[in-house]
Amino acid sequence: MEIEPATIDSGGNGSGNVVASVRDLEVEFKTGKGIVRALRGVSLDIHAGEVVALVGESGSGKSVFGMSLLGLLQTSARPTIRGQVHVAGIDMLHGAGGVRRRVRQELLGAVFQDPLTSLNPTMRVGRQLLERGIDRERALRQLGEAGVPDPERRFRQYPHELSGGLRQRVMIAMALGGRGDIDQSRRRKKRHAPVVDLAGAEAAELPVTVAHDASDAPRLIVADEPTTALDVSVQAQVVLLFDRLRREHGCAVLLVTHDLGVAASIADRVVVLYGGRVCEVGPAASVLRDPAHPYTKALLAARLSVDGTTVRTDPMPGDPPNPLALPPGCAFAPRCSSATVECEVEPPELTPRAREHAGEVACLHPCSVGEADASTSRVAVTMTRVASPRPAGAGDALELVDVSKTYEVNGGGLGKAKLVAVDSVTLTVPARGSVALVGESGCGKTTTLRIATGLLQPDRGSVRWAPDGGRPQLIFQDCGSSLTPWMSIGMQVEERLRMLGVPKGQRQAKALDYLGRVGLDRRASESKPRELSGGQRQRAVIARALASDPKLLVCDEPVSALDASLAVRVLTLLESLRDDLGVALLVVTHDLAAARRIADEVAVMYLGAIVEQAPADVLFEHPSHPYTQGLIAASPTTEPGRLSPTLAGEAPSAIGERHGCAFAPRCPVATEVCVEETPEFKVRGAGLPVACHHA
Amino acid sequence: MSRMILVRIGSLMVVLLVLTLAVFMIKAVLPADPVRAAVGAQASEEIVQAKRHELGYDKPLPNQYVRFLGNVMHGDFGDSLRTRRPVLDDINRYAPATIELALCAALLAGFLGILLGLWSAHGGRGSGSARVTMLAFASAPTFFLGILLLLLFYGRLHWLPASGRLSNKHVDSGPTGFLIIDSLIHRNPGELVDALQHLAIPAVCLALGPAVAIGRVLRSSLLDVMRQDYVRTARAKGLSEWMVVLRHALRNASGPALSMAGLQVGLLLAGVVVVELVFAWPGLGLYTQQSIQQADFPAIIGITLVLGIAYVAINAIVDVMQLVADPRLRVVGRAVA
Repeated sequence: MEIEPATIDSGGNGSGNVVASVRDLEVEFKTGKGIVRALRGVSLDIHAGEVVALVGESGSGKSVFGMSLLGLLQTSARPTIRGQVHVAGIDMLHGAGGVRRRVRQELLGAVFQDPLTSLNPTMRVGRQLLERGIDRERALRQLGEAGVPDPERRFRQYPHELSGGLRQRVMIAMALGGRGDIDQSRRRKKRHAPVVDLAGAEAAELPVTVAHDASDAPRLIVADEPTTALDVSVQAQVVLLFDRLRREHGCAVLLVTHDLGVAASIADRVVVLYGGRVCEVGPAASVLRDPAHPYTKALLAARLSVDGTTVRTDPMPGDPPNPLALPPGCAFAPRCSSATVECEVEPPELTPRAREHAGEVACLHPCSVGEADASTSRVAVTMTRVASPRPAGAGDALELVDVSKTYEVNGGGLGKAKLVAVDSVTLTVPARGSVALVGESGCGKTTTLRIATGLLQPDRGSVRWAPDGGRPQLIFQDCGSSLTPWMSIGMQVEERLRMLGVPKGQRQAKALDYLGRVGLDRRASESKPRELSGGQRQRAVIARALASDPKLLVCDEPVSALDASLAVRVLTLLESLRDDLGVALLVVTHDLAAARRIADEVAVMYLGAIVEQAPADVLFEHPSHPYTQGLIAASPTTEPGRLSPTLAGEAPSAIGERHGCAFAPRCPVATEVCVEETPEFKVRGAGLPVACHHA
Repeated sequence: MSRMILVRIGSLMVVLLVLTLAVFMIKAVLPADPVRAAVGAQASEEIVQAKRHELGYDKPLPNQYVRFLGNVMHGDFGDSLRTRRPVLDDINRYAPATIELALCAALLAGFLGILLGLWSAHGGRGSGSARVTMLAFASAPTFFLGILLLLLFYGRLHWLPASGRLSNKHVDSGPTGFLIIDSLIHRNPGELVDALQHLAIPAVCLALGPAVAIGRVLRSSLLDVMRQDYVRTARAKGLSEWMVVLRHALRNASGPALSMAGLQVGLLLAGVVVVELVFAWPGLGLYTQQSIQQADFPAIIGITLVLGIAYVAINAIVDVMQLVADPRLRVVGRAVA
């Protein structure tokens, strides 16, 4: 179904096909520390067939909004709620519990961030699907529609037997289970759902063009960060899937996300949330191309991009607002470069934008169209790259030569199978160098990292560290939980110094010095981890790692859990540490944009082996391996309406014997030779090493 | 999964072997002389020696252990000094009463524990005070609780009998020795009611402590599970709160509660001795108590072995139940990537 521009106007145009309507929603949670004002007067209409992206950083209230549409706010805590939430005319805040439950069952679908924890681990996939009140036949068809291959087999499996991508597809299949009609549902229970016209489309790959009975799909799918936990190729597939479902079933989608790239690819309308208030709303094209709110602009500017452009200065200094103590005026004012005294008096109301642009903005000083200023304009950055290739030798911070690691796993039936996690990886991180190891989950990058830091012994090959630097220091993805909760930050740094034999009298001063290097002051040093913000905790972890005076910092997904503004800041910090202290960096990530931002050199891993390695700019501008090309293409950009082409399928299991090129089954250019012969990782046409027969 | 169950059974055998060794060592170091006990205090030295040779007590300890193990395998625990019957016969005679009591108490404990866990996890009205009351009862020693319940239900209210398994008007003539089963076989409702009335107070006494322990563990793991993402998914699917709790939360929360149930039912076997004494319940507990008084070591060792086997078996069953409850435990090796 084609969306008329008129229906995707900003809310409140009185259109008849409003699926969900939220008016002046205010939600407050009482906590031990005070009242958290999660939402402060949010209004939004969602129309049939419309994809609305709700964009905001963590703590902006976007997930609370999603839960309020599902009528599930009351189950988590006991919030104070004002305002109205209606789905298909039914009150989701104050309606009878049973009626709201029926609305969830028949009219709504929900997809959550982490498909592993969102599926019940002790229940077979099939049974979880059938709980939507659908019959087996329809459940199987929905699995097929959600792109799950071999639905019959998956139906009988448990969630832990599926890959991450498949799990999320199962979640989506489950979200599709509604009937879109609440009145007849009771009587229909025993009957086949009236979707006979679709029954022929078992393969579900057929583009279904028939006009739809609205009653075979939910009216609205609430998708809360549905792609955040997924690899870039799977993310692109899931985004495509949402787009298809919207077109084929006409169901509306509320896409809650922190990533403007995901929002850009399929959203008709973008709603930007900050501090529990809408700061900008409008058609995706105008919000993304010409943001009016300084926050939207900064958010766009801060986003890491695979195209290599970046902002010169920090577009959003300061921290996200503390939900316990929101300022009386515009919540963004403390971080806003164009803020004035009036901004701090009362929160600005949403007002229509300039005539040529649809949408509304809540700002006293909105950016005019096309305006550019120094802090947010993107530039192509040529970072201080260490000249490559360098003479290898004693100066290297890390040298992995031909390391391999194989695990024995339970091979389904009887007996053991071999899982080749790392297969003959050779990698050098020069002193003061910065190398990124990228690849999808399960490609062996974390095993390589563990070997590199000495946490794991390789079966074969050698690991060499810089002779005078000691053990490389590791910075984990979830930095908050790698800090001891009952020790102050300063004490944790001092503990490292004590282990290194620093005399007691000097420890405190040295600890403060290290904390100062990452921008933490004495007050932060005396705080417990839970008293700090996410960004401060991340910096504390880095300071603690620096205390051992390492020659190499190994970072495991350093920014993938962070909001865009924080991610930029952490990468900038790592970069400056490298320049100032001469620490080399090995960054392991599935985030290509982060890799491009931080690394001189990038190695791409697939199924345990490095398939391509090149200086960052060369690799991103002229990728040689089809896998690298696919990964780069699949990365979302903020170009409105651009659906990223996807790599087909998912990385196969690393269990079992290898034959030929591991990527051949997904490769668009694979030929016979690829299936028969494993390509060697060697210098080919472009003058750089790549493991592909066709490079 | 069947392979994992086999592994569990294998480890069970090892535990039992260690148990027999321990029991044998106790037997070996005990001051009581089983030969003297068998032939009597007046027997001459020759007769003692002959009997010693006959029973194999003149052989080195390892040989004696092998012989002991062989006997145990055949169910031969020797003769009771007190009753002069084979210990196994005695155990067979008294076991049904104890099994019936322990099984009922265990089922009651499980049922009450689940109820208490669900109720208090959901924070229903009065669940807080109910938890405190239950905790108070559970902290009281079993014999004290027994006497208290006796005073109330027998002494004051006259609702329930005070002791034994049956009133005088009914006689257990049944094939199994389990009164509930026998009365059903006889199609005698009067006998069934009578048996259940006798069972009630002792079973409640035994069950209360374990029920509170299971309930507390279940409560905390339920509270944890109710915060999980898949519970949110179940709610978002439009399931009713009861469906969410019973289908999704309870099974996932059952792991720690099952572990606790296994431990508690094991402890319950020890509690049986006291309860049988208080209520004159003609079971293994009473038999044990009498054997201890008479220093009847063959009987004590036999009972120790039987209770040990029961304890190990219960925990093996719990292990298997956990495997059934959580399919993720069935994966042996986990891939690290």
